[in-house]
Amino acid sequence: MLRAEPLYRIRLLVLTSELQDAALTLARFGVFSPAPVRTEALAEAPAAGYREAWLEAESRLAKLEEQCGLGGPPDVPDAAEAPTLADLEELNGWLKEVWGSCLACHENTARIEEARRRLDALAETLAKLERLNVDLAQLLRADSLLAVDLGSLPAAGIRRVTEALGMTGYLVSRFDQVGEQVYAVIAGPRSRQGEARGVLAQAGWHALPVPDELRTHPQAARAWLEGERARLDNESGAACGVLDGLRERFAPRLREARVRLALARPLAEAALAGVNGRGGLAALSGWIPKRQIDSLRARLDARFRGAYWLELREPTPAEVAEVPSLVRYPRWLAPFVPLVRSYGIPRYGEFDPALPFAFAWLLLFGAMFGDVGHGAVILLLAAGLIPRLGRLAWVGIAAGGASMLFGVLYGSVFGFEHLLPAVWLSPLHDPARVLAVAVAFGVGFIALTLLANAWNQGVAGRAAAALFDAGGLAGLLFYLGAVGALASLAGALDVVRPAATMAALGIALVAAYKWHEAKAGLGERILVTLIETLETAISLFSNTLSFMRVAAFSLNHVALALAVFALAGGLGTAGHWLTLALGNVVIIVLEGGIVAIQALRLMYYEGFSRFFSGDGRAFVPLRLAGGRPGFDA
Amino acid sequence: MSAYLDTRVSLLATRLWRDDALDALIGAPADVLADTLARRGLPQLAADDRGRGRGRGRGQDPRSLEQRIVAQILDETRVLIRPLSGSARAFLGFWTARFEMSNVKTLLRSKMIGERPAAVLGRLTPMGAFGRLDNQALAHAEDVGELLRRLEAGPYAGIVRHARRAFDESRDPFGLDAALDRGYYEGLVLHAQPLEKTAGASFRSLIADLVDRVNLVWLLRYRFNYRLPPAEVYYLLVGSRYSLSGSRLQHLATLDSPGAVLAALPPAWQARLAGVRDIPGVFARMEHAAAEHAQQVLHSRAPAIARAFAYLILRERDLRAVRALLRGRHLGLAAGDIRQALRRDAEAP
Repeated sequence: MLRAEPLYRIRLLVLTSELQDAALTLARFGVFSPAPVRTEALAEAPAAGYREAWLEAESRLAKLEEQCGLGGPPDVPDAAEAPTLADLEELNGWLKEVWGSCLACHENTARIEEARRRLDALAETLAKLERLNVDLAQLLRADSLLAVDLGSLPAAGIRRVTEALGMTGYLVSRFDQVGEQVYAVIAGPRSRQGEARGVLAQAGWHALPVPDELRTHPQAARAWLEGERARLDNESGAACGVLDGLRERFAPRLREARVRLALARPLAEAALAGVNGRGGLAALSGWIPKRQIDSLRARLDARFRGAYWLELREPTPAEVAEVPSLVRYPRWLAPFVPLVRSYGIPRYGEFDPALPFAFAWLLLFGAMFGDVGHGAVILLLAAGLIPRLGRLAWVGIAAGGASMLFGVLYGSVFGFEHLLPAVWLSPLHDPARVLAVAVAFGVGFIALTLLANAWNQGVAGRAAAALFDAGGLAGLLFYLGAVGALASLAGALDVVRPAATMAALGIALVAAYKWHEAKAGLGERILVTLIETLETAISLFSNTLSFMRVAAFSLNHVALALAVFALAGGLGTAGHWLTLALGNVVIIVLEGGIVAIQALRLMYYEGFSRFFSGDGRAFVPLRLAGGRPGFDA
Repeated sequence: MSAYLDTRVSLLATRLWRDDALDALIGAPADVLADTLARRGLPQLAADDRGRGRGRGRGQDPRSLEQRIVAQILDETRVLIRPLSGSARAFLGFWTARFEMSNVKTLLRSKMIGERPAAVLGRLTPMGAFGRLDNQALAHAEDVGELLRRLEAGPYAGIVRHARRAFDESRDPFGLDAALDRGYYEGLVLHAQPLEKTAGASFRSLIADLVDRVNLVWLLRYRFNYRLPPAEVYYLLVGSRYSLSGSRLQHLATLDSPGAVLAALPPAWQARLAGVRDIPGVFARMEHAAAEHAQQVLHSRAPAIARAFAYLILRERDLRAVRALLRGRHLGLAAGDIRQALRRDAEAP
């Protein structure tokens, strides 16, 4: 719980023909995280083609599922085997064919929609031309010197088209606009029609076909338009029928395809991380928990009956930074993990701060927002939101509980300080003590972070930094010594000489380490050592003083409640209770939110930043979508 | 924020190369070259040069030289864009979009030749935080039609919609490419307009250099290489309010030879382009003039966004030269040939 599980790097060698089943077995196992190992001996990528085919098939299937309204996780049988590359290619080919038909239907539908819009525009055009008493037959004559065309083009390009066509002696006259489409008549010398058509093609011009009938008799034109509309309706119905037919015809096979692609997915995903091989031999590399080795062997024996080779080893110091972190948390701690992960993932071997984070954050929240009534409201609200927020609601419940606990200790209920006797202390009546407790908590907290950092540095193989750096044991020695000396000077302790000696020794060690680490000329080295040593001392104490905000917020809570009471006191009975209710809502929402963020800030910046690099890698196991969970999943 | 950006630009400006500094690297030993590249903020290119000769080993950057150069430009743009907001931020963001437009063209070409998605995905330039397209989904489109429709539903709808209509009508890949290029530069001019008011003449002049150069080179190429008629050539140019206005472009497009076009340019341009014999020469000479102007803006008291843009223009030009140098060395070309490729001002008057 405080550290990532020890992992082994494994390399599973199998026949290339069984590679997909090896990946599937590891996915069913549920705790194998693929990671590449490049070796000269196995320089080929035997799963690259498999991944490519899977990606193509997956993309096509996803589009088809969306089209046909299919979805949901597939039901993968336990005994099902992964498809071979040939199976996958065949499936991919079939999906391509089906999607091709679908695409054709879509194209058809879009074409029909566009044709309808053009017919509408043509009808309007004819109506306008009728009013103008223009002889269309004359206007659109193919053998006249004047070439005239009706059509549409994007509104954004009309100005440029007009200018360009002007260079060829053509005129553009717009007569309508529907959405972003402008409908226009263009006219110009037939001798330069070729040039004009070149411009129009670049401009996305859609010509409106004007059949011969339309050029002569308006009645015939109307009949022709109606006929065209009816034809488009029929075509549209046919296109919809084709799409519906696709759904009915292919749905069962598409569901089967989903299962097969789910079975193929483990190798396709492992191939991304790197699957090596040569000739008929392939290797899957990655990480698994050390304690799962025997279970893995049993699985592989059952599946491959000895026809495999498994190499195992602990991670080398050089590859520690690449090892993923697998930490198992008890269920009650899991809701707090996202708050830690939002800062970062601990490196392999590093101290995992989730457990101390949960306790410290709750402690800080409770101390800054101690009130039985407000805590109870938060607790009940969070409990009511469990269906919506899921396990994150438990963070709210715990925060409410911590607030109630400190409310009992402070003797505070909805801001009333006289309803309960303070079991421990009342921030309002003893602010100096609250400040002293907050700073003492800060000292303990920072000392723990220095210890955690020393541990992390040691685990990473940086023993000198663990011992002598400002964030290591030397820094801790200085910090505790300086705190002891200051406390003695303030009269709280009587250890001034040994404490001062400790502090001097600690800071001298830190300075010596900085001197050793600074790779520069003498002047720069002196400067770097002095500044960094001074920075160490200043930052440790400024960080400690940050914890005074815990006391400040606990006082702030009481002060806000007093302000609400003062406001309510000047009002009548109804106004009094209304103000009290609204004031408490404001306190819970506004101050509760601020306190939660302040507690998080203290954890992140005064705590995590001191020891937690957060740049670890998450352990992402191969999983089988829709399959039964693996051993420890 | 302006002081911060100014400081950032000044610091980054120390990474720019003088022509003689580049020239000195042509015959330099590999380690010296790698150290120089690292000092100029190009450690990823330096690592490649150190690794070469020992084979592509473990930890070697798998990206192509072009991809690493674009990544470097994007990294530096990310640094410069951080303190910006509003139209300045939008402009620099759109300036990076040309790499994504290049990806779009690569995708379209791959669909035209029926290439498999995995093959094209490896060639796309990773856009990092500036990426706005889902390359995986686009690469898995079944054909050009589906790809264009997907693009039309994305952030570049304005550019792609027009290109799709043109392609639907003509099925002409050239028209598609030209429409995308034109759409991009029209968008750039639109993004620059609000800044021209606030960032002043220096910023406007940088944009003018860029758009005028693009228009003149395209005009010459479309008119005399592709033999397109004047009206079509004019339509394919970027709508401009700079030195080469719409009416001047219309006139230039009607002329019959490159010489006549160059002779009809404003006098200052004629002087700049004196003696140029071909279209690449026009491009190089105009780019050189634009770089000189960008240097002036960079070292002036111009608004921070103008200096940042000037730096990015110069940095990209430098990185193209570094690419030529590295390629020349890797191919074992003679020093004279590499020097010829690097002569960024050789033909300047």
